[in-house]
Amino acid sequence: MAGLELLSDQGYRLDGRKATELRKVQARMGVFAQADGSAYLEQGNTKALAVVYGPHEMRGSRSRTLHDRAVINCQYSMATFSTAERKRRPHGDRKSTEMSLHLKQTFEAAVMTQLYPRSQIDIYVKILQSDGGNYSVCVNAATLAVIDAGIPMRDYVCACTVGFVDETPLADLCFAEESGGVSSLALALLPRGGQIALLQMDARLHQDHLETLIEAAMTACKGVSKVLDEVVRQHLQERSVLSGE
Amino acid sequence: MIKTEKILHLKSCRGRKVRVVREHYLRERVPCYSSLCQADCGNDGKLLPGDLTHYVVPDAGVVLDYLEILEFRELQGVVFTQTACQALQSKGRRYYNRLRSLLRDPRHDCVLFANEFQEYSYCPREKGESQERWQTRCVYSAAVWYYNHLAGMMNIVMITEDRAAVDQYSSLNSGVFVVSLQDYLQDFWPELAAAHELYASISQALQEKEGEGTEREYSEHLPAEVLEAGIKSGRYSQGTLNVSKHRAQNEAFVQTEDLSDKNTDLSSGVLVFGGKNRNRAVHGDRVVVELLPRSEWRGQVTSLTEGQGEDRSGEDSWSKPMPTGRVVGILQRNWRDYVVTFPTRDGTQSQTRNSQRILAVPWDRRIPKIRISTQQADTLQDHRVVVRIDSWESTSLYPNGHSVRVLGRAGELETEVQTILIENCIHVPPFSDAQLREMPVNSPEKPWTVDPTEAAVRRDLRESHLVFSIDPLGCEDVDDTLSVRRVAGGKLLELGVHIADVTHFVAEGSLTDLEARMRATTYYLADRRYDMLPAVLSADLCSLLGGVDRYAMSVMWELDAQTLAVHKVWFGRTLIRSSYQLHYELAQALLSGEQAVVPELVGLGSKEKDAKLAQLVQALETLTHVARQLRAQRDQGGALELEGVEVRAQLDEDRNITALVPRQPLEVHETVAECMIYANHWVARKIQETFPAQALLRRHPPPRQELFGQLVDSAKAQGFSIDTRSNKALADSLDQAVDSQDPLVNRILRMMATQAMSQAVYFSTGAQPQDQYYHYGLALDRYTHFTSPIRRYADMVVHRLLTAAIEVEKGTGPGKVPGSNKEVEEMAHHINSKNRAAQRAQSLSTALFQCLYFKERDAQSDPRCTADAVIYSIRDNGVLVFIPQYGVKGPVYMRNKDGQVVAPGPDGRCEWQSGSVRRFSDRITTTSSSGSATFRLFGHITVRISVLSTSCHADSLNLEVVSNEPHRGAQPEQPRPQGRNQLVQEVVRLAEEAQEKAAQQLPKLSREEREFRQSKTPNLYSLLEEVRELALMDTEQVTQVCATTA
Repeated sequence: MAGLELLSDQGYRLDGRKATELRKVQARMGVFAQADGSAYLEQGNTKALAVVYGPHEMRGSRSRTLHDRAVINCQYSMATFSTAERKRRPHGDRKSTEMSLHLKQTFEAAVMTQLYPRSQIDIYVKILQSDGGNYSVCVNAATLAVIDAGIPMRDYVCACTVGFVDETPLADLCFAEESGGVSSLALALLPRGGQIALLQMDARLHQDHLETLIEAAMTACKGVSKVLDEVVRQHLQERSVLSGE
Repeated sequence: MIKTEKILHLKSCRGRKVRVVREHYLRERVPCYSSLCQADCGNDGKLLPGDLTHYVVPDAGVVLDYLEILEFRELQGVVFTQTACQALQSKGRRYYNRLRSLLRDPRHDCVLFANEFQEYSYCPREKGESQERWQTRCVYSAAVWYYNHLAGMMNIVMITEDRAAVDQYSSLNSGVFVVSLQDYLQDFWPELAAAHELYASISQALQEKEGEGTEREYSEHLPAEVLEAGIKSGRYSQGTLNVSKHRAQNEAFVQTEDLSDKNTDLSSGVLVFGGKNRNRAVHGDRVVVELLPRSEWRGQVTSLTEGQGEDRSGEDSWSKPMPTGRVVGILQRNWRDYVVTFPTRDGTQSQTRNSQRILAVPWDRRIPKIRISTQQADTLQDHRVVVRIDSWESTSLYPNGHSVRVLGRAGELETEVQTILIENCIHVPPFSDAQLREMPVNSPEKPWTVDPTEAAVRRDLRESHLVFSIDPLGCEDVDDTLSVRRVAGGKLLELGVHIADVTHFVAEGSLTDLEARMRATTYYLADRRYDMLPAVLSADLCSLLGGVDRYAMSVMWELDAQTLAVHKVWFGRTLIRSSYQLHYELAQALLSGEQAVVPELVGLGSKEKDAKLAQLVQALETLTHVARQLRAQRDQGGALELEGVEVRAQLDEDRNITALVPRQPLEVHETVAECMIYANHWVARKIQETFPAQALLRRHPPPRQELFGQLVDSAKAQGFSIDTRSNKALADSLDQAVDSQDPLVNRILRMMATQAMSQAVYFSTGAQPQDQYYHYGLALDRYTHFTSPIRRYADMVVHRLLTAAIEVEKGTGPGKVPGSNKEVEEMAHHINSKNRAAQRAQSLSTALFQCLYFKERDAQSDPRCTADAVIYSIRDNGVLVFIPQYGVKGPVYMRNKDGQVVAPGPDGRCEWQSGSVRRFSDRITTTSSSGSATFRLFGHITVRISVLSTSCHADSLNLEVVSNEPHRGAQPEQPRPQGRNQLVQEVVRLAEEAQEKAAQQLPKLSREEREFRQSKTPNLYSLLEEVRELALMDTEQVTQVCATTA
């Protein structure tokens, strides 16, 4: 569609950001007391709630038990009010199943599952408001929740989407950009080691550009990790102050 | 990271109202692009100068409606706001792109300020506030921000057409003035008359638009989503509308783009018949068509029509029905500036409603009449005027437009030439001072010299090589020189082609470069030339004149002296001094051993002279030998030799014709051409290998076989068979198709072959697969243009690529990375379209001169108006002929509008009688009471040439058959180029005479005076001046002076 101009000649995007700038990230940890770990994360207008239970013993079919590490069980869902038009979203539709699977893969790479053999860790993520980059927001929220639950991880898992417009990579796409026909790439990164936990792209892109795109995605993920780190430290500080009193 | 904030936006889409929440980030530092900026804004790129009296901030409404006025280069310091820019974007892509190119243009003093992303200038839309009011408020707050940001050093003028806004805001801030556009123009630019006229014409057009009727003339266009869905599902097809030149009223074709493989019967295009079906589309628009049911399909009219297509129903014959459709929507308008003629007002013409709305007739027949609102209808009668189309509502039969500029009275030479330029979108303003300032100086006081640092990095060929140039006589822009010598004891030949190093003088991105890129080529018209580069470069510093040091870009081969196998190729920058500046005839004379005077050798001792002459002749002979072999190699591959009808006039500075580049087959022409082709080929190889995805090459796609139909049929009628399967087969069979009786037959066949060819085009190597690089005409796998950087921009691009390639090879890395594939491809498109425009303009101007030539003569009596013609195609009611004497092609009718046919008398004289016409594949027969006559293909007839004058369009030549015998008085083949030469000269002379006659009515003027249009010295001004000087003296003398001058 020849509709919107995603990147102006002056280098501004639709919402006033420059190409490499992320949306504003705000997060809180420990929002629920019942669960073992929980977090709420806003990335621009995309808002997600993540809850972690476990590690606990296997529930449901015991046959899935792994004797040397924990099973990670992920569930992704979207609230009916999360988009502009209210829509009922049953569990188990293809989109959310796929997303659940991606989340699972991501966290299997990051959580030190071998510390908890024969047990299970549940990660539930709900999108409260959707405005692009759902996957990466879920990953970022879940990371905080897992940390809140005190489950050891190799590193933060930070995710970010990157799009490619006019030979320029755009970091952290919003919904308008995503639907504007951009070929986008989602990347989950363990920033300290620079290992890639998940890379997903289902659009056409010339091979020559892939390198630059991944490069940009990694930079963006590192930016996210800085913010998350700050959130965690702040949270710990608050907690220690509270418990100190 | 910068402070961010979220704002809500409301938006509805697809009919339903949807509340969409969008983020909106604001920041403190948004570049203001002013050189007065104190706050260290991080400005880069174009800056507004600080020495203006004010900056202008136009409101969204002004930008929407009056962008054309803001395009005036005189208006400086224009700040476009993002708000206005977005409003324009929603109006249409075309307008927005126009603004973008305006912003990019460094010659134009304007910048874009992203006011909605600036923390302090952004104002959110309030509840219940209309969009226009909000936009005005945004723009005003941006204006205020500018004033404060520049600390009050610059006054800001905001222009708006909203009266209420003027009242509301004008007294709010001291340094920010809010005025209407009209007041602004009057107060600040009272002398800019063109802008005032344009303003009046646009505002008139806008007013008229409001008072439109509601009667439907056309069906509405479908909305964009429906079109898109339809195209995807295959219900509609899209393409570019091409209106037929001869039947502009009814016939138009849509060449569909993407469906050719899926749907074979659409590959030849879709016919759109009639004005209703065309549904307001104008020639060149990208449209969406829906096919009509098969029962309504119809064919193309095959007979010749005279002048504009009057409806001649019934008797016309049709070709076989082809897909027919109607336009349902327009994807992209392609409106440009049109030249129209205001009709002569006679009493009968009923101007509807009021007399200010005039239906003007465009010069291009394919464009519908345009309704213009103007106050000057009377003064503009019979004038050619540039107009733009504003809109075409479904309620109106004709589009609405406004006038932009008056060119002059129709029929005058200057007006007609300007018309040709504008109709082909060629803008060639004189070079500006800023551009000329960039140029190096070479004057007698300050001669240009070789820079020692440059000389150190260049290979010096001044002493070691004998360099010479061969060009047409009197040529100023010598861009190629040659050298050849034996090395390694005679075993190797070193052939060198040295091209003017234009890119050394024209830096990429400089003003001169931008101008050259815009022009893309030098335009040659029949009587004048518009250079791509300023004269100081094209005729002096870049011209490889004899006997002076010049920079060059060289390609040098080491060839085996026997087999001509290439041992080594060297590319690089050099320093040369051309020893001889030869012209073709002289070089040919030297080669054939005739006595000729070489101007460079005059004045030398005879011994020395002979030695030097022998050396030169030796070099020429070697060169000819090499070229012959190269040519033979290419002929093996199937290179074509084609006949063109174009002849180029060469002009000197005073616009007199000095020579026409003759197409006379001197061998030395071919020698030079061959060396250039060789150089181009090797450079193409080099840059393609170094930059596989972004080299600018030139390809010549093989022609479509079906286009050869006419050629094959015509040749068959004459007993020749033409094989068109490959370029080699075609070249061979064309060589054999020679009629010993009539040399013209071969020439016409070659001409027809040329017509069937597709055009060679520039392209970026990244945009085509490698097997498409082939050059069909030259039979080379890779080809580019390298050898004429003075007159073609493509060559400059190639020079830059080659420079970068050399740097890569040296390992220094490309100093400047050449543009990406996308940029190169865009550039290639631009150059291609400009080249086509240049060609069209050239042929139109030739036609113009032909018409002017024949207009002066009486067709009945003047022997020059009767000429011999050859029939080369047969149509239903006439034939197409070629007149070799003047190089004119045109139709000859066998049946006129009254149904009468040509009937030759016993002596071959023809007259009109009632009868009938029958068409066969190779002949046409007329039958009347006095017997029947047959006109065969390739038969010679005698025609009378007269001029068909129309006030609104270009004049055209009318050919009338006089006799079906060859023209008796025809001298056997008088050399054609000369005939054409005389023709142009004659016309120029007549035009000058006419001018002089006009000038005689004024007092005679000297040259300088003519320039400033001042009268001779005893005029009122000088008288008063003298009086002023004498004012201190006594009055008696004053009276004396007055008495003497009076």
